[in-house]
Amino acid sequence: MTELGQNLIDALALGSLYALIAIGITLVYTVMGMMNFAHGEFIMLAAYALYVFAGLPFGAALAAALLTGIAIALLAERVAFRPVRSADLSAQLVTSLAVAAILQNVVTATVDARAQSVETPAVLSESTSIGSISVPNLEFVTLALTAIVLGGLGWLLYRTRTGLAMRAAAENFDMARLLGVRADRVIAIAFAISGALAAAVGVLIVMQTGQVTPTMGLTPVLVGFVAVVIGGFGRMVGAVVGGLLLGILSSLLGVYLPEGLVPFRDAIVFTFPVLILIVRPHGLLGGEIGKARV
Amino acid sequence: MSAARFRSRPSAVASLLVPLALIAIVALAGADGTPAFQGTVTLILCNLIVVIGLQVFVGNSGVYSFGQLGFATAGAYVAAFLTLPAAFALLQTPGLPHFIVDAHLGSFPSTLIAAAVSGLLAMAIGLPLMRTSTLAIPISTFAFLIVAYNVVANWDRITGGSSGLVSIPTTTGVESAALWAGAAVIAALAYKWSASGYRLQATREDEVAARSIGVGVMRERLIAFGLSGMLCGVGGALAVHQSGVLNPTTFYFGATVTTMTMLVVGGARSVFGAVIGAIAISTVNELLRGVENGASLFGSISIGEAPGLAAIGLGLILLATMIAMPNGLSDGREAGELRWLRRLGSKGAVPPPRAHGPGLAAIPPRDRSAKGALRAERVSVAFAGLRVLKEVDLSLEPGEALGLIGPNGAGKTTLVNVLSGFQAPDSGSVWLDGVDVTGRTPARLAHDGLGRTFQAALPFPHLSGLESVAVGAMGMGIGRRRAVEVAAIVLGRLNLLDRSTQPAGSLPPGSQRLLGIARALAIQPRYLLLDEPAAGLNEAECAELVAILRNVLKDFGCGIMLIEHDMSIVMELCSRVQVLDDGMTLRVGTPDEVQADPAVVQSYLGSSFLAAADA
Repeated sequence: MTELGQNLIDALALGSLYALIAIGITLVYTVMGMMNFAHGEFIMLAAYALYVFAGLPFGAALAAALLTGIAIALLAERVAFRPVRSADLSAQLVTSLAVAAILQNVVTATVDARAQSVETPAVLSESTSIGSISVPNLEFVTLALTAIVLGGLGWLLYRTRTGLAMRAAAENFDMARLLGVRADRVIAIAFAISGALAAAVGVLIVMQTGQVTPTMGLTPVLVGFVAVVIGGFGRMVGAVVGGLLLGILSSLLGVYLPEGLVPFRDAIVFTFPVLILIVRPHGLLGGEIGKARV
Repeated sequence: MSAARFRSRPSAVASLLVPLALIAIVALAGADGTPAFQGTVTLILCNLIVVIGLQVFVGNSGVYSFGQLGFATAGAYVAAFLTLPAAFALLQTPGLPHFIVDAHLGSFPSTLIAAAVSGLLAMAIGLPLMRTSTLAIPISTFAFLIVAYNVVANWDRITGGSSGLVSIPTTTGVESAALWAGAAVIAALAYKWSASGYRLQATREDEVAARSIGVGVMRERLIAFGLSGMLCGVGGALAVHQSGVLNPTTFYFGATVTTMTMLVVGGARSVFGAVIGAIAISTVNELLRGVENGASLFGSISIGEAPGLAAIGLGLILLATMIAMPNGLSDGREAGELRWLRRLGSKGAVPPPRAHGPGLAAIPPRDRSAKGALRAERVSVAFAGLRVLKEVDLSLEPGEALGLIGPNGAGKTTLVNVLSGFQAPDSGSVWLDGVDVTGRTPARLAHDGLGRTFQAALPFPHLSGLESVAVGAMGMGIGRRRAVEVAAIVLGRLNLLDRSTQPAGSLPPGSQRLLGIARALAIQPRYLLLDEPAAGLNEAECAELVAILRNVLKDFGCGIMLIEHDMSIVMELCSRVQVLDDGMTLRVGTPDEVQADPAVVQSYLGSSFLAAADA
């Protein structure tokens, strides 16, 4: 029982992390219709900010990571994504792939291709006991952060004018624009929030692994994409459900898989969504997107 | 009289020979170099084969796959297993079955087997993946790439794990790589110009319109995915026999970005684009690496190991291409379709098809003998609680013209969508010649003899008018040659022949609309549903449309259902009119009866219509 409880909390924490990634990708998708490959590099660059500013007090390094995530997202939007805003989905996807490749290799060229270790505050690697269950503090942080982000986004989207504009843009971008929604502003805000979420994820990953590498964004962005797909494109709730599902599956497989198969965990995790898509080609909470419009 | 063709012979020959000549030039440039330079050129040719493999799927389907390098990995490992010397095999891959270790095949048979295995693997992987939506395929193929990497990197006893394999015989030279590259070009063009290739291109141009002419989107994508995987496997197999080493990252994310850049920069829609993209980007890549190493320009290259500078340069090139030149260097055209070459060579690029061929009677609706009708029975549809159709009945017989009229929002288009399979009814049924066809897909219904057009023209912009219409026939499984004949007959009857060699996207709106009707006629339907065919046409074009439809009724003998707001067209063509209002049938009758019905006048025609009719 204790072990099960322990495993469930681990699984929930990983699922929350994945949900944060999926939300960041979904935000941009809803206002712009683009699946952003470079989201993983936003995560990676924010993580590198922690490495670069390791000498500063931890709070200042965190702020630097957050600002890095937001700044790089805004920069990428302005320079690369705005010019292809009206292009089709595939073209946008390839554009974001180019941005990802550039950012990744800029870090390879300026820092190093190899992993660099980052010191993390000791308190995060300690655990707190609740009854017979011992929970790593980092998992508390992850769960709390996810709750805050979900609450904050809910407030933003459903209680503010900006949120109304974003939801309108997500429903029908051209119509929203005709009705006076300022497209550039809405998209920039979405990217800024997406960059901030990426920064949060980057920090959490560094706290977990204690290191940074130029390719560290690849798996998270795939996780985010897959979560978005199985959740049903463009649905915030779908992103959360998809992220949680993937995280829980991955975490539990890590514990309960026979030893010989553990190295193949990722292969099994990423095969599972394909099975969902075969049964439900438009995802679990599948929307209208991708269906024929006649 | 020469038969109609998609392209002139000189154009076809140029499209084939120019890429082959480019490959020959690259090979000749490499043949005399130092061994290191020869190795570089060989690897460039291997990359080129992979890029052609990408083109076959991505270029023709318009759907990006980020997983094709996984098939290059498969081909490379299979080729390595089949040729590793026994001593090395025992050390590196102890888990490999004996019959593979003992195979000791030469370069050629091992490449063939690698091609077969990666092609079959692509078919097996594609079977589930192609079922997912257009939006999900890039992501599910990317997931496949990572799964493949994960399996290869961890299956130590078979693949040697993350440290990979060494001491693989290096048997690929410049000549053999060039020959394989030439074969890949021929295969890719042959596929692109086959009926199956055209059907896939139609789905790229407009998926909805392609389904309406009977194209099975999933099936065509799967065929291209398999062929693409096979070619990528060949590229991988040849590359591993050049470098002699292989590990799980050889064909992974870096190589995916590199080959995708080559394809996009060259222009994904054409094989020519794939070839020039691969050559151009390889050259730039070598130069960048030369700068990166600070030393000799053409040092040895190794696929996959792409440190900083060169990769940044490629990324920037890819980004700039997407922003400034999304059609790539080739503009999506084959070599024989380039303007300067056309000007240089034959004047009329394609001989215009015969102007005075046989009439539509020469291509009657298929299965004319069947008796029956197209019927809707008590069809209801609701969108989010809003009832758009309420128990509507409808019947259309071969040879008659039925007008479907009513105010905007009456449910006319929804009814056409239900009849043609694009919208499943919440209740009620659709019958075709006495068979219940409710729930059949649009493609299946097209095969059953149902053609339709849409409110928008939905052209296939990058296909010529002749190709667009011929695809309609090819969607029915008719061979290419016969399909061109059918298209020429239809186009001749619709007075579209003189413009039929231009890309459909460049035609004026009126012609695009007529082309949509021609495309639907080319499937030789027994029932044809036209959704506002006259919308956006000028007066002269309207008159032409009426004449054409009269001709279709007389010559062709299919049943026509017409949604139209222009009452004069309805009155002129239709023997029966059905009036829909608020999702219900208000009246069915002859044009005169309907016009005289006060309820119809009130709900739709308006009193001004009566005044105009009296005048």
